[in-house]
Amino acid sequence: MEGTYWDRVETIQRDGLKKLQLKRLNKTFERAKKSRFYRDRLPETINSLDALKDIPFTTKSDLRSSFPNGMLSVPQEEIIRLHSSSGTTGRATVIYHTRSDIDSWADLVARSMYMTGVRKSDVFQNMMGYGLFTGGLGLHYGSERLGALTIPASSGNSIRQIRLMKEFNSTVIHITPSYALHLYILFQEECIDPVSDLHLRIAFLGAEPYSEETRKRIESLYGLDAFNSYGLSEMNGPGVAFECPVKEGMHVWEDSYILEVVDPETGDLLSDGEEGEIVLTTLKREGMPVIRYRTGDIASVFPGECPCGRTHRRISRIKGRTDDMLIIKGVNLYPMQIEKILMDIPEVGNNYLIEIEKIDYLDSINIKVEVRPEIFHGDIIELENLKKRIVEDLKNEILIHPRITLVEPNSLPRSEGKAVRVVDNRSK
Amino acid sequence: MASQVTVFVENKPGRIARITRILGNNNINIRAITISDMGEYGLINILTNDPDSASDVLSKEGFSVSRKYVIGVIMKDRPGGLADIAEYLNKSTINISNAYGFILKEGDKAVLILEVDDFDRAEEVIRKGGFHTLTEGELHNI
Ligand SMILES: [Zn+2]
Repeated sequence: MEGTYWDRVETIQRDGLKKLQLKRLNKTFERAKKSRFYRDRLPETINSLDALKDIPFTTKSDLRSSFPNGMLSVPQEEIIRLHSSSGTTGRATVIYHTRSDIDSWADLVARSMYMTGVRKSDVFQNMMGYGLFTGGLGLHYGSERLGALTIPASSGNSIRQIRLMKEFNSTVIHITPSYALHLYILFQEECIDPVSDLHLRIAFLGAEPYSEETRKRIESLYGLDAFNSYGLSEMNGPGVAFECPVKEGMHVWEDSYILEVVDPETGDLLSDGEEGEIVLTTLKREGMPVIRYRTGDIASVFPGECPCGRTHRRISRIKGRTDDMLIIKGVNLYPMQIEKILMDIPEVGNNYLIEIEKIDYLDSINIKVEVRPEIFHGDIIELENLKKRIVEDLKNEILIHPRITLVEPNSLPRSEGKAVRVVDNRSK
Repeated sequence: MASQVTVFVENKPGRIARITRILGNNNINIRAITISDMGEYGLINILTNDPDSASDVLSKEGFSVSRKYVIGVIMKDRPGGLADIAEYLNKSTINISNAYGFILKEGDKAVLILEVDDFDRAEEVIRKGGFHTLTEGELHNI
């Protein structure tokens, strides 16, 4: 018989959860101390979770400087997989996994997918890139663990994606929101209505920031439920936190991670409800435990219990990243806030560049938008209205008043994966 | 029906030269060219002998191109020729969004190109007024 929960630990009482966390944390210390990096940074054991706040943070630059194996806690022959990120800035980092790590990861992803309603009778088409990027393989292993029929479609090749969906009646997809919107145009050209002609019912949207409006648009265009998730390669990848059917925040799997929210400037612990930087500690990882990792992601913890019955705390959407916070005319602003609004204007989509300059000693935001053939109808009024609409939306939602510059198609930089969409010219 | 191609360009040096070069290399003759300048960008309206090819080659070169039907009215190249038609259109409440003219090779006639909002009605009204409107074929041959 099918239950609501994948694992009994999802509804564990909070005090039981804390006991489990402390036990696993001490085990993690014991493992981590075998690595060069953590050898002298950790106590043998701690007696209460409160003592965790006195343990030093681990940062991205720690991961870089201990590259390639300063944080390895087991002999390398025990490692069966690595994921490495070149990062958009700076040197590479690597995360090592033992067989048991891959196993725990797959189980967490399976638990997450099961929570959203995926069952073994589902057909899961994974349209994310496979490879060093953790998004593709992470959900692949989770889906197989769950028992769904898994199609490793990977990214790109839209015609094949559509064919696979039709031939195998895919019910669940993993896709970037911008690709979902792009693919919809192709469906229209092929005269396929995704709602009536396909069998999709669940989508996992990832790898890009997107707003609630974009989620709702994709849900109605495809006739499915789309779920938010949170993960980062340092903490395995997908499966750190996932939305339940209530869709109010993402449950962080606290039996596998310790969640803290800290003030990004002082590092002090913040209470639930306060916005700050997410700090995570792995509780089950053997190959490369990471303790008090400063994720750089800004979010807050939802106070209170979730109606779904799971006791693991929920975090909000990621508001931005500490390392790319902008200060415009004295106001703190994350590029993601601008991006979300821009991506919600269909004519803009992904084709924009945010430039920050100083003009007459004042900060000024210039947003370049490509006039692609699809949106160009030879009409000046239409173009000027588009400019006005972008300015209005940004002014209303985040109180900035940017300049909009329309540019020719393909004149903005393109890149694989994460595009560079913000250029700060002020420091020059 | 005659049509022009409208091209989106950033206001930076060499864009018009590049567009006319592309058309020239493809043996497309430009009859008239006008620019709506909006500061950081502009729309270039080009009337050619072959709008289909003009649109194709410019799109292939990566430009955003739009086709628009225009009305070409033949008028005598004499003082008051333009006034005649302008007055007539004004009386018929045809809304003109853009207009430009050029003189034919023979020298005694001029063509007035009109961009209008309601194309079908405008063309009918102009014909009824006894003016001659150019077909795509005629435009091709002049
Ligand atoms: Zn819940």
